[in-house]
Amino acid sequence: MNTFSLAPLILYLPLAGLLFNGLFGRGIVDRNRKSGERFVGWLATLMTFGAFVVSLTLLVSLATNGFEAWYVPIMDWINIPGANFQVGWTQQVDTLSVTMMLVVSGIGTLIHIYAIGYMHDDPDFSRFFTYLNLFVFFMLILVSASSYLMMFVGWEGVGLCSYLLIGFWFGRVDKNGAPANSNAARKAMVMNRIGDFGVLLAMFLLFWTFGTLDYTPIFDGAVEMYKANHVVQFGGMSLSLPTVLTAVTALLLLGAAGKSAQIPLYTWLPDAMAGPTPVSALIHAATMVTAGVYLLVRSNVLYEVVRDSGALILGLISTPDLVAWTGALTAFFAGLIAFSQNDIKKVLAYSTVSQLGFMVAAAGMGAYVAAMFHLITHAFFKALLFLGSGSVIHGMEHGHHEIAHGHGDDGDGHDGHDAHHEDDGFDPQDMRYMGGLRNRMRVTYITYMIGALALAGIFPLSGFWSKDEILLHAQTHEMPIFILLALAALGTAFYVGRQLIMVFFGKPRHAAAEHAAESPALMTRPLIVLAVLTALGGLLNAPYLTKAMAERNEMHPRGFWFLLEQWGEHSIPAIHLTEEGVVHMPHTPVVLSPVVAGLSMLLAVGGLLLAWLVYRGRPRTWDEADRLARTPIWWWNILPLNTFYSRGLVPLFNRFAAWSAFKLDGEFWHDFIHDRVIRDMFVTFAAFSSNVLDAQGVDGVVNGAGAVTRRLAGALRLTQTGYARTYALAVFLGAVGLLVYFLFMAN
Amino acid sequence: MPSAVDINWYIALSGILFVIGALGVLLRRNAIILFMSIELMLNSANLLFVAFARHLGDLDGQVLVFFVITVAAAEVAVGLALIVAIFRTRKSINIDEINLLKG
Repeated sequence: MNTFSLAPLILYLPLAGLLFNGLFGRGIVDRNRKSGERFVGWLATLMTFGAFVVSLTLLVSLATNGFEAWYVPIMDWINIPGANFQVGWTQQVDTLSVTMMLVVSGIGTLIHIYAIGYMHDDPDFSRFFTYLNLFVFFMLILVSASSYLMMFVGWEGVGLCSYLLIGFWFGRVDKNGAPANSNAARKAMVMNRIGDFGVLLAMFLLFWTFGTLDYTPIFDGAVEMYKANHVVQFGGMSLSLPTVLTAVTALLLLGAAGKSAQIPLYTWLPDAMAGPTPVSALIHAATMVTAGVYLLVRSNVLYEVVRDSGALILGLISTPDLVAWTGALTAFFAGLIAFSQNDIKKVLAYSTVSQLGFMVAAAGMGAYVAAMFHLITHAFFKALLFLGSGSVIHGMEHGHHEIAHGHGDDGDGHDGHDAHHEDDGFDPQDMRYMGGLRNRMRVTYITYMIGALALAGIFPLSGFWSKDEILLHAQTHEMPIFILLALAALGTAFYVGRQLIMVFFGKPRHAAAEHAAESPALMTRPLIVLAVLTALGGLLNAPYLTKAMAERNEMHPRGFWFLLEQWGEHSIPAIHLTEEGVVHMPHTPVVLSPVVAGLSMLLAVGGLLLAWLVYRGRPRTWDEADRLARTPIWWWNILPLNTFYSRGLVPLFNRFAAWSAFKLDGEFWHDFIHDRVIRDMFVTFAAFSSNVLDAQGVDGVVNGAGAVTRRLAGALRLTQTGYARTYALAVFLGAVGLLVYFLFMAN
Repeated sequence: MPSAVDINWYIALSGILFVIGALGVLLRRNAIILFMSIELMLNSANLLFVAFARHLGDLDGQVLVFFVITVAAAEVAVGLALIVAIFRTRKSINIDEINLLKG
């Protein structure tokens, strides 16, 4: 027995938590609100934490067992000997999956703790924690799977949890009376379906080609078959392996685009912010949305085979390049859209889309380890930012409550509170009502600052290192992608600066912000832990400072196994395909490039500075128009160049950002494609099914059968005259007939 | 062998009796007559059995006739009872009026 056999516990623990809370949680909370909440919340937290501890033992097991992948069978699942089709519930414990397990269960634990404070007094407290454990359960299935099919079970499961948690407050309606939350949940489901459809098709193709869905045989088989110039037969068609893999990888990209909110399927993620903030942090920033990136990284062998073969889609672009471009364009455009958002969580949502774009771009360029590195640091700092924004919202709501009720005067203020609420249209998530919160919420301010600076890419916080690694790879491999990503990085720093200034600096623009108060310790402590992780996360894969140092240290690679680059080597082989076949290359160590690092630092500081110049002290009141919404006249007096900037670039850029946000994103993607095309198509099809197929087709057959029977019966009943003689005659004639037959015809 | 009558005559007589009986069943309306016609048909068959039994020198035909007579007697007993019952309720034994099973 070795410690690997503990692996199934990472699934059983959350399962136990969700079953217990699902069955008894409501009763426990209802019996005694205070202790019940504590029990249910901490039970769920403990289960997730247990999974984290088990993941840690798996990490140690891997380190002491030579980092080789270990397969832990749980049970058989599908076994069809006739088709030679076998899928089992088997966990694959390798460096990649353990990395993901640690991220999911570790960040998950912190967010569970935070949620105990955040969800306090919610009528559905126990339902929330049941869903959270369900999510952790499915997410751990996803990352620990050893086959595409088992991975898909987790993939669909987390999609379900995402749906359930976005629509957690499904009864809430927006100003127009539309059920905004449940609509958002449904939208996430539908957009993800499109991606899932790609994953399904990819799995069909993989099974047809390789006869299995398990990762390892597929990846080994792909390389073997590629070397042997294998031809895949599809009925009468025969296709070369790279062609098939091009289709597979393109379909997997579609799946990743759905789950990781990439162009063109990203629209669901900003809407998903309707869910409770811990959900936004856990599912829609740190873990679930990175499943698409994980899928790309996991399938790296397939992409490398396609890259090496030079197979193109329609002769235009190879799938790895398509992945890189999708990521880079998403990173750039989502960053732009973030400029025009006033909702604190929406800014972070578009930022998540943009950062996921960085990871996808890295995966597309073959920098799988860099993608994973950014995934981890992003999980740290984006979880921190979301939880911080939740704390801000909590504080704003507290402040609003305070002014509405007067200080401690709860007795008769209730009606006035509601009327007040209606009148000023106060929104605790709208950054225009905030301002000056740095004095009211110290802990939140400092931790948020760390997260935001890491997101902007400021040295030496974790975001700097991971983003820098991606930029470095892009700079040496794909120049156009590098330019897009560099612009995206600049944009990131700009919207981060704008958000910081609007939320924490200046003067409060609303009474609620003046009365905002720091959140309870249950919420701020996870923030502190995450802030520490954010600050130090860069050490996970810090580059070597000089080439000589790298060469010296590479001599003793074991000593640096904890560096992601060497840790990941065991599950993300740096394969290199040559004319002769496959060569496993030793990893090239990441060496700090002063040029790229300097440039990325320059971009980060420049973006923040730009934001400071534009938004310092703005907006002065909550209803003042955005600084970029009109021409900033004060610029022209400084330099003639600024005229060009303010008159030409800013309005143009601004219009473009607004156009991206309102026309391209809002009207085109959200309203036109989503509502008009997809929904109306579905409605038309449903109407056709109901009115034509069902009413005329199915009902016609059934009614027709009835009518035919009736008419036949009407004809047949004429023979039943009731006269005995008729029957006698029939018998007689029958007898005669039989006689005639036997006498004359039978022989 | 004292028999001088050819077997064909028996067959012909039996056939004629059977046809008369059959026509009676098909054409008459009085239930009593119907019964008599049925008896006629049964007896035409009996005649044939006996004739062939003798012609072939085999007793099986004779035995069969006893069975037929027995069954016919039973049938008449049941049938007449039915007719009496019908007459009591409907004051008629015209079988064309007994058509409750008309479809």
